[in-house]
Amino acid sequence: MKYLVFLFCLLISSSLAAQVNVDSSAFKQLDDVIVTATRSPRLLANVSIPASVISAKTIYQSGSLRLNDILSEQSGIVITDNFGKGIQMQGLSSDYTLILLNGEPLIGRTGGVFDLSRIAIRGIKKIEIIKGPSSSLYGSEAMGGVINIITDQTGNRKTDLALRYGTFNTVDASIDVARRIKKMDVQFFSNYNHSEGYSLKPNALQKTVEPFWRSTQQITLSQPLGSKWKFSLLARHNNTFINNTIAVTNGGNTIVSRGFEKSNEYNLNPSLHFKINKKISTSLRGYLTEFKAMQELKIKDAFGSYDDQFSQKYRRIENQTDWQIRDQSSLIFGAGYVSESVESNRYDDLSTKRKNAIAYLFFQHEEQLLENLTFIGGMRYDDNQVYASVVSPKAAFQYKISDKVSFNLSYGKGFKAPDFRQLFLNFTNLAAGSYSVFGTDVARDEIKKLSDANLIDQTTAAFNNVSILKPEISGGLNAGIKMKTLNGIDVNINFFRNDISNMIVTDIIAYKKNAGQVFSYFNLKNARTQGVEIEAGKKVLNTISLKAGFQYLSTADKDVLKAIKAGTVFERNLATGLASRMTISEYGGLPYRSKFSANAKATYDNNKGLFTTVRIFYRGRWGTNDIDGNGLINRTDEYAKGNVQINASLGYKLGDRWDVMAGVDNIFDYKDIQNLPGNPGRVGYATLQIHL
Amino acid sequence: MKTKNKKQTKMRKLSMATGMLMAVIFIVSCKKEKVAVVETVTSKTVTSLPADTIVGIASNGQPVGTGKYSFFSIETNSAVASVDSNSKKWDIGLRGTTIITNAGTSGPGSGGAFVYTGTFDELKTIPADSTFRTDNAPMSYAIPTGSNKGWYILDFVTNLLSPIPGRVMVIRTANGKYAKVEILNYYKGGVNPAANATDAEKSSKQRFYTFRFTYQSNGTKTF
Repeated sequence: MKYLVFLFCLLISSSLAAQVNVDSSAFKQLDDVIVTATRSPRLLANVSIPASVISAKTIYQSGSLRLNDILSEQSGIVITDNFGKGIQMQGLSSDYTLILLNGEPLIGRTGGVFDLSRIAIRGIKKIEIIKGPSSSLYGSEAMGGVINIITDQTGNRKTDLALRYGTFNTVDASIDVARRIKKMDVQFFSNYNHSEGYSLKPNALQKTVEPFWRSTQQITLSQPLGSKWKFSLLARHNNTFINNTIAVTNGGNTIVSRGFEKSNEYNLNPSLHFKINKKISTSLRGYLTEFKAMQELKIKDAFGSYDDQFSQKYRRIENQTDWQIRDQSSLIFGAGYVSESVESNRYDDLSTKRKNAIAYLFFQHEEQLLENLTFIGGMRYDDNQVYASVVSPKAAFQYKISDKVSFNLSYGKGFKAPDFRQLFLNFTNLAAGSYSVFGTDVARDEIKKLSDANLIDQTTAAFNNVSILKPEISGGLNAGIKMKTLNGIDVNINFFRNDISNMIVTDIIAYKKNAGQVFSYFNLKNARTQGVEIEAGKKVLNTISLKAGFQYLSTADKDVLKAIKAGTVFERNLATGLASRMTISEYGGLPYRSKFSANAKATYDNNKGLFTTVRIFYRGRWGTNDIDGNGLINRTDEYAKGNVQINASLGYKLGDRWDVMAGVDNIFDYKDIQNLPGNPGRVGYATLQIHL
Repeated sequence: MKTKNKKQTKMRKLSMATGMLMAVIFIVSCKKEKVAVVETVTSKTVTSLPADTIVGIASNGQPVGTGKYSFFSIETNSAVASVDSNSKKWDIGLRGTTIITNAGTSGPGSGGAFVYTGTFDELKTIPADSTFRTDNAPMSYAIPTGSNKGWYILDFVTNLLSPIPGRVMVIRTANGKYAKVEILNYYKGGVNPAANATDAEKSSKQRFYTFRFTYQSNGTKTF
């Protein structure tokens, strides 16, 4: 908590220092335009849901290379480290956050987690973040929020080369080219990223992070066709390659298997825009994306080799029409069709294709009810081939008391469709206990097959409940205030509450004769997350900007809360061995959620090419694993330690052509081998950039 | 096998007032059953009873034991040799995480069991509407098997097994008398290995039961 006090002291001192009051906003963002909140360009200040924009300049000055780098520095966002770098927003995990590239969804998740480190963020224009459910506009996965990466689409002539070198032989090289050829704007971006990885345990056979290589190539173009039509296209290819060394010790024998995992991702997004008249415009967008991942391990013993292949395709066509009915009234409506398929040896032999199709409709109406009161209402209907259809409404109000203070209130429904894994997975782990996991669509057939082969010991009561999965749904309420205080501090406060039901969890459906367990998926869990996020910022002397953020988060499994109230939940004193009833106040909520998190940033920029930043991040303790047998977080030793990390950077412009910058992340070398394997400790880097 | 009185340790945890209240209840209950021996209301603790401990690694990489149950007599507070498996000499059998009682498919006795939710101490009388289950191996056991189904929970992250707090196994002995049993730990020495201990350590130390029990020799359902 002392860090929080520090943060607010920082803010208060900054406001006292503000004798020379320059009337420019610390959230330069307030002048920014955001597209993601309403599917149409809006001033950030006029958006009635929690939203923020990260500019390319902020990304550059923070020395961020991958999407997880910059998101980890935002208030109310935590990056988790399981199946890659996942995002946690408003207490909801990566499964429930939609990641968009120019408004089109990115696919390819492992265990529900979208690995943010796949995305190179050099050469992009900005990142837009909205928090709370937005399924009314975006459909599945937009429960906790939406991250939209917007690429630079202008053809302003540039040829930029950047090279960075850092700790662990990390090399990052980028080429960023833009040209206007006649009337066509063209951009080309290419990135190469490599690191030798690192080892947190010096004597371990396998590195904590193995050497990896990643690259991205992207081309975008836009071509006006007469005065009313415009054609644009994005084509992107992204690939990763990771070395694998896996050492397993069993009965004194260490078995080392070596191999690799790699992924390839393709995106193609042609679109056609038609401005019918001053008030109505429409666009037709096509989108094709494919994510292919494979892992191959050669093991020098009886287990043989391990080979995992996964290929997902997503095709979509969508139309959206924007109609400015009057000055105070506008309407957006559209429809789309998605066809998805997956081929994987986790599900079946590779020749079997699993498919789903979704048809959807959406509309959103925005009306200025009074001079200072704006209302937005919208709804989306998703009709699915393999699971139940979903209706997702949303309503939001903004009330402006003055040009310095506004209130915002919104309520929306979010949903997440059962994914292919939950429907079709057919996985048996022979190495670890020969357990199996079957998707609900295949569970009965697979149990019958095992049973016919006389391999099943018994089925459980849960087996009788295996049925078609329903989407997980949420209701999210956000209430906030945005204001500018008299001494020039911008303050945003937002209270949030998310109620999630039908959450999908695994349960045992059978035991095998060899004692292996068989799992399937069920809509069983109900949870809630609630809290408050506060951000404050101030600009001093036009060269210094100070920002601070804080989040309080409380999460709970609602069924656990009920059980605690009913007196059927216990904890054990491990010293005495005695069990006692647990109280609500001892319940630590959902694992991996920090109750408190905070950050503070100071940036000095002389606007002539010299800048320096210092960024401080605090993450309070978070629950990791149960120790006393109740499956819950309740003991102090069931938490990972809270920590503070400080990053700093310094940059200078040498003439018109050269930029140099250097930085150190995690200056005080904080490490937690057990709970933060993705944190390598202190790293340094230097970047050289040339504008040709 | 060590046996020790847990009562003193427990007392220390209680406040003075509760302690006195307990003492009164204790005296009153002793007065009621003048004939009963004092031991019947005393809990006993068994430490690190091996239950089919790991002897090797199976071809699928899984650690395995010999597959034999360790039998235990609650009445005599002692281990029973496996040659007596088909007798009424034992009350519970332990093999890995599976616990059997002397009845049904497991033995010739009049045993049975069910899992009670609550603390060991607050279970003073077996509720009148309780149903004792018997083993019907391999379909079902009186003490349900599986993580979070009966007496234990397995953490998939640390791969450590812990008894669920607030679960008491109410046991009917081979001779039809009653006892309550609480498993306290599943690892050698009565302490869980560290979360980051090696798999080898977690494997070699598992399947050692530390538990406490109270046996009512007079045939009533009151402890």
